[in-house]
Amino acid sequence: MNLGRLRAVGSIGLLGRIFIILALVLATEFIANTYIFDRASQFALREDEARRMAEHLVVARRVLDRTPPAGRSATAGQLSTQHFSIVWSPDQEAAFSSFALRNLQNQIVQLEPELRRSALHMHLRSLRQGGDIAGSMELSDHSILTFTSAQAGQIWSLTFGRILTWVAPTLVLVLVGGLMLRITLRPFRTLMRATREVGVRDPEPVREQGPAEIRALIHAFNVMQQRIHRLITSRTQALAAVGHDLRTPLARLQLRLDGVDMEPDAYQAMSQDIEEMTDLLHSLQIYLNGEGATIPRERIDIAAMAQTLLDSACDMGQDAIYLGPESLEILARPVPIRRSLANLIDNALHYGGNVRLSLTQEDSGAISIIIDDDGPGIAPDRLADVMQPFVRLDDARSRNTRGMGLGLAIVSDAVRAEDGIFTLENRPEGGLRAVIRLPLSPS
Amino acid sequence: MTAQTIVLVEDDPTLRMLTARLLQENGYAVRTAATAPEMWIALEGVAVDMIVLDLMLPGTNGIDLCRQIRRTSDIPIIFISARGSDEDRVLGLELGADDYLAKPFNTRELIARIRAVLRRGPMSDTDGGGGRKSEIRFDGWIVSLSRRELRSPTGAIVDLTGAEFDLLGTFIDQPQRVIGRERLIELSRTRVGDSSDRSIDVLVSRLRRKLTAAGGKPPIVTVRGVGYMFNAPVSRA
Repeated sequence: MNLGRLRAVGSIGLLGRIFIILALVLATEFIANTYIFDRASQFALREDEARRMAEHLVVARRVLDRTPPAGRSATAGQLSTQHFSIVWSPDQEAAFSSFALRNLQNQIVQLEPELRRSALHMHLRSLRQGGDIAGSMELSDHSILTFTSAQAGQIWSLTFGRILTWVAPTLVLVLVGGLMLRITLRPFRTLMRATREVGVRDPEPVREQGPAEIRALIHAFNVMQQRIHRLITSRTQALAAVGHDLRTPLARLQLRLDGVDMEPDAYQAMSQDIEEMTDLLHSLQIYLNGEGATIPRERIDIAAMAQTLLDSACDMGQDAIYLGPESLEILARPVPIRRSLANLIDNALHYGGNVRLSLTQEDSGAISIIIDDDGPGIAPDRLADVMQPFVRLDDARSRNTRGMGLGLAIVSDAVRAEDGIFTLENRPEGGLRAVIRLPLSPS
Repeated sequence: MTAQTIVLVEDDPTLRMLTARLLQENGYAVRTAATAPEMWIALEGVAVDMIVLDLMLPGTNGIDLCRQIRRTSDIPIIFISARGSDEDRVLGLELGADDYLAKPFNTRELIARIRAVLRRGPMSDTDGGGGRKSEIRFDGWIVSLSRRELRSPTGAIVDLTGAEFDLLGTFIDQPQRVIGRERLIELSRTRVGDSSDRSIDVLVSRLRRKLTAAGGKPPIVTVRGVGYMFNAPVSRA
């Protein structure tokens, strides 16, 4: 079998597979029953048909018994009707076929017990021969009479009706079975949905329902979900604790340093080292704890916020320009948004040497904040990477990479929390462009 | 003049010792405490001018402790946090702490903050019960001194730089009065940790711009040749 077909089979769902298996089993059973055993041994005609055939046979036997052998052949011809032909010849063999109709045979013998002594034998002729009922019986002198009942159409309609009566319950069974299977497998779907959410939000145990195996699976899943959550939480806590606990020794170090009489240059350098470590810890704490995320949304003047940050940069002698309205109020969490703008402005100033922030409001009410610099930009294949936490582009923008590579990840998280979109792109004319789009009133 | 007394509450023994020594070297009398109960003991029987409080004391949440102190006393509190998060800062200031410092801090910073808070004295407008009313209103604007926050008449937070906020504070402290440029420059010089040498005129124009952006009339007017005047009626709630 080629791979493509295997894959096509592989794409059938569990429900589909169980259906197919069920159908195959039923079909196999049905074929076996109908065409190998039933057709041969359980074939019976309707009561009236059988009676007519039995009477015809009894009459034919009596008449031929009394007719001398010389006239029997002709009499047999006269006894034949359009649908039932009777043949007698002195040297005939008893009919024999693998499709013996024992049921019908018994049915007829029961109706006319006289035929019991006649070695009645009936069978179904192959379809090639017309599919009729044929048979033979002995006369009193042991000569053989053969007969054929030409009622193929009737038999077939009978057979079809019978098949239908066999199939109908099967169909109902399949439908009911399918429905039950669907219900049985429903917990799987719930489980699948829950699996997609693991690690994204707080774990919510899936209700344990369904058959024992699925119950066990859901239970195992719930335990696993808790375990994963604990792992993530404990790691986060461990990192946060590191960030927290390192601050006390750093404070000691700073105070000790302040107490030592030393060269101003050396003091300055060491102070800067401590400051850098503090900044690293700070960004780590912000990233892990989502600074200000627990404070609810408030009305904020985003224009004033941006201007304040840029004015502060200007006061430090930086090249920072604001383009936009004097005032623009939106609903957002002030601390994370302020942090995001500050991070992007810092990045632009650090890597690009300047920053240009423009704030616009679209007709839809959504606002976009565009932060441009005239620096080297970011290699296109790394644009997506830099939003990941702990990613630093040491090679490309190696002038002086600071921090842990959390700045843009913090922005990304903060903007997502406001139902906004954060993108980075290289401007065609050079330099990096960071864009934050925020809905005016997040849902 | 006798030395001012500071109670230092810090659970890390070495840091406590280092900080205490530092404060002593700068002329303060220091009583140290490692835990909240020790702090209550240290506060007894002596006039204490200030508490320097570590937020993350074992056994007690520093914020609860801050609240407890405020129930009975107006003593200035500077709290020190290892979290350095804005939530802590805002919460602490809200609960009546006078200033906030993140670990690690350097000597200069700590001493400057202590001096500034001691000079300022207990925050103005206490109503005896220790509850501090630090909201000031003008023209629908609300200034929260504890949060260092300005809200527009529509309730939106309007960011100000530290220098701008201090300037606004000076103005609303003396409304309807002309304040000379020299005086404003002098006041801005005393700002802690501000290395900006922006001229006072730039600061005033930025502040004025933010206060009129929403469309009102400017509350700060220039008095030619003298200085500036804040001419909106100010109410303290």
